[in-house]
Amino acid sequence: MSTTRVTSALDEATTELRSEAIRFSRYLVDCEPSEALIERYLLANTLLFQDRPTARDRTLLAFAHKHPWSIPLLDAGTALSRSAPRFRRKLLVMMAILETTPELIDHTAPIEHYIGPAQLALRLGRAGIVAALKLIAGVVLVHVVAKGRDGH
Amino acid sequence: MATDMQVDVIVVGSGPSAVNAAYPLVEAGLTVRILDVGNRDATYASAIPEAPFSDLRRNDPQQHRYFLGEDFEGIGFDHVGSGAQVTPPRQYVCKDAQRLQPIESSTFHPLQSLAEGGLGAAWGAGSPSFTTADLAGFQISYADLVPHYEAVAARIGVSGACDDLLPFLGRLSAMQPPLENDSNSTSIMSRYSRQRTRINRDGFYLGHPRLAILSRPHRGRDANRYWDMDFWTDAGKSVYRPRWTIDELRGCPNFSFIGQRFVRTFEETAESVIVHALDLASGCMEQHRGRALVLAAGALGTTRIVLRSLKQFGRRVPIVCNPHTYMALVNLNGFGRASRDARHSMAQLCIVYAPDGPTRPFTIGHFYSYRSLFLFRLMKDSPLPHRESLKIMRLLSPSIGLLVLQHQDHPTPAKYCTLIPGSDGEDRLIIDYALSAGEQARIDEIETNIRRALLRLCCVDVRTARPGHGASAHYAGTLPMSATDDELTTDKNGRLRPMRRIYVADGSVFPCLPSKGLTFTMMANADRIGCHLRTVLRP
Repeated sequence: MSTTRVTSALDEATTELRSEAIRFSRYLVDCEPSEALIERYLLANTLLFQDRPTARDRTLLAFAHKHPWSIPLLDAGTALSRSAPRFRRKLLVMMAILETTPELIDHTAPIEHYIGPAQLALRLGRAGIVAALKLIAGVVLVHVVAKGRDGH
Repeated sequence: MATDMQVDVIVVGSGPSAVNAAYPLVEAGLTVRILDVGNRDATYASAIPEAPFSDLRRNDPQQHRYFLGEDFEGIGFDHVGSGAQVTPPRQYVCKDAQRLQPIESSTFHPLQSLAEGGLGAAWGAGSPSFTTADLAGFQISYADLVPHYEAVAARIGVSGACDDLLPFLGRLSAMQPPLENDSNSTSIMSRYSRQRTRINRDGFYLGHPRLAILSRPHRGRDANRYWDMDFWTDAGKSVYRPRWTIDELRGCPNFSFIGQRFVRTFEETAESVIVHALDLASGCMEQHRGRALVLAAGALGTTRIVLRSLKQFGRRVPIVCNPHTYMALVNLNGFGRASRDARHSMAQLCIVYAPDGPTRPFTIGHFYSYRSLFLFRLMKDSPLPHRESLKIMRLLSPSIGLLVLQHQDHPTPAKYCTLIPGSDGEDRLIIDYALSAGEQARIDEIETNIRRALLRLCCVDVRTARPGHGASAHYAGTLPMSATDDELTTDKNGRLRPMRRIYVADGSVFPCLPSKGLTFTMMANADRIGCHLRTVLRP
C-alpha cells in the first residue's frame, strides 16, 4: 500500500472517530463535545482499543456510523451481552470522558438535592419504561444487523 | 557482591507489619535496616490539587488526568475482580509485583505489592481487634495482644465508637472519637436505632467502623478533612499509611531504609543472618548482615523467600484468604433526600452478623457510600442502555452503597501454594485454592441471612458480585504459628522453625482468618514480635 493510501486510510479512521465522539456525546448527554473532548476520545481509543475488533464489533460499529439514529437501540440491544461488545465499551469511554468534564457536571453528577417522592418515582419510572422499550427494539435490531453480516 | 556493615536487625518489607515490627526495635536503640523495593507514585501525587472531590469535579479541567489516569487505565472493562478498589493514583502499589514475584494460578488472583508501604499504601484502614473468639487456633491470646493493640493504635491513630459493636471489635483505650457519617449511612443508622431490639434478636448489629483514620490531629498528621478524596490521595495524611511510620523512623540515627532492594534469600550462620538482595538499580546482588532477620514482605512474598532460602521447592504449604463479596445496596431510607457534601470516602458503617453472639465466630462487613467514584463504573455493569442508566444512576447513586463482606477461612488440603523453579531461572509460586461445597454453602447461608436483615433496614441488595479468590488481599497461614515443632511453622514469638535468628511478622503466621480484616492485628502482632526480639537482642 502506498504512503498516500495509508495516510488517507488513517485520515478516514480519524474522521470516523471524531464523528463517533460527537454522536456519542449527543446521545449520552445531549451536548456537543468540545474539540478538547474529541481529542481526548481519540487518544483514549488509541490507548484502550489496540487489538483488532471482531467481525461482530465491526458490523455494529459500521451500522452505527451509517445509521446514527440506531445508536440508542444498538446500545440497548447489547446491554444484556455477557461480554460488552466494543461498541458499548466505546460508549462507556465517552461517558467516562464526559463525566470528568467540569462544563458537563450538571448532566453527569449525582443529583444530591431534595426530590419529592412523586417526582422521583416519575423520573425513575420514565427512564425505566424508555429503557425497557429500547431494550426490546434494540435486541431485535442487533439480531437483524448480526444476521445481515452472517448473510454476507 | 558488596558486603555491608552489620546491623542488629534486618527487616524485609515496608508494609504495615514491617514498620510496626521495626518501631519498638528502633525505639530500644537497636540498629535496624529495612530492605524493600519501595516503589512510589511518580505520576499523580503532585498532579492532584488539594481540594474537595466536588470542587475538583466542578472546577478542574485536568481532572481526567488523575480520575481516569494518564493512559485511561481507570476505565476498566472487566468484571469486578482483584484490585477493583485501586484507583489510577494508587496503581503504583502493584507495579513490578507480578514481574518480580510471578504467581501462577487459575483459581486465585492475589494482589501483591512492592510499593513503599506495601498493600498498606492502598488499604481501606479497617482496624478491628481480634477478640478471643477470633483467635481460636492461634498460639497467642487476646491478653497477649492487648498492649500491642494499644501501642499500635497510639502510633497510627484509630478512630471509632463504643457502640453496639464493642463486644465484637474489642475495647481500645487509645481511640479517637468516630468520624462523622455521611447522609446515606446516617439514614440507615437512624432506622437501625428504631428497630434495634428486633434486629439484634436475629444476630445482626450495626455501628461505627473502627478505622485507622484520624478524627483529630495526631503526630503531625491532620484530622480528616471530609473532602471525599481518600481513594485518590493521601493529602493531609489522615488515613494511616505505613509510609508515615517510615518517615518518623527516618528521623532516628539507628534506622535506615534501603530502597530498590529485592530480597532473594537468606542464610543463617552461628553468629548472624546474611540476606542476599538484588539491587534493582544496578542489577547486582549484594549482602546485608544482621544479628536477626524479620521477614514482613507480605504472606506471599515472605513465603517465597523462605521456600527459596530453605530450598523447599515443590513443598506444599497451606494458604488462607478471606472470601470476599460485594453487595450493591440501594438504601430506600435515603431516597430523594438532600445529602451533605462533606464526607470521607472510607467505610461509613460496620455490620456484624453474629447469630451465636460475640463469643462464637461471626461475620463482619463494611458499608461504603458510592460517592467519590464515578457513575460510569456503575453503568458498566448495568444491563440498561447508557443514556437511561445515567439518568437512573444520577437519581439513585446518593442512596447507593457497597457492602463489602468478608468470610472466615481455615486451611484445607484444597488451599495451598508451592514454589517451583522456572525454566528461565525465575521461580514461580503456584497457588491452588478452592472452597469446599460445605464452606460455600455456609457463605451462601450467611449472605442470605444478612440480606434479610438489610431488608429490615430498607436496604435492598440489587447486585451481588464475588470478585474471586484472592481479591480480599488478606493472605495468611503459609507459615502458621504452631504448638508442635514442625518445619516451616513459627513459634509463638514468630521464630521460623528450624531457624534461630529468623522471625516472621506478617500474616504468614496466622493459622486461620476470622471474618475481620487482619491488618490491625498483624500490626499489633508485629509490634509484639518486635518487643520480644528487643529483649532477645538486648537482654
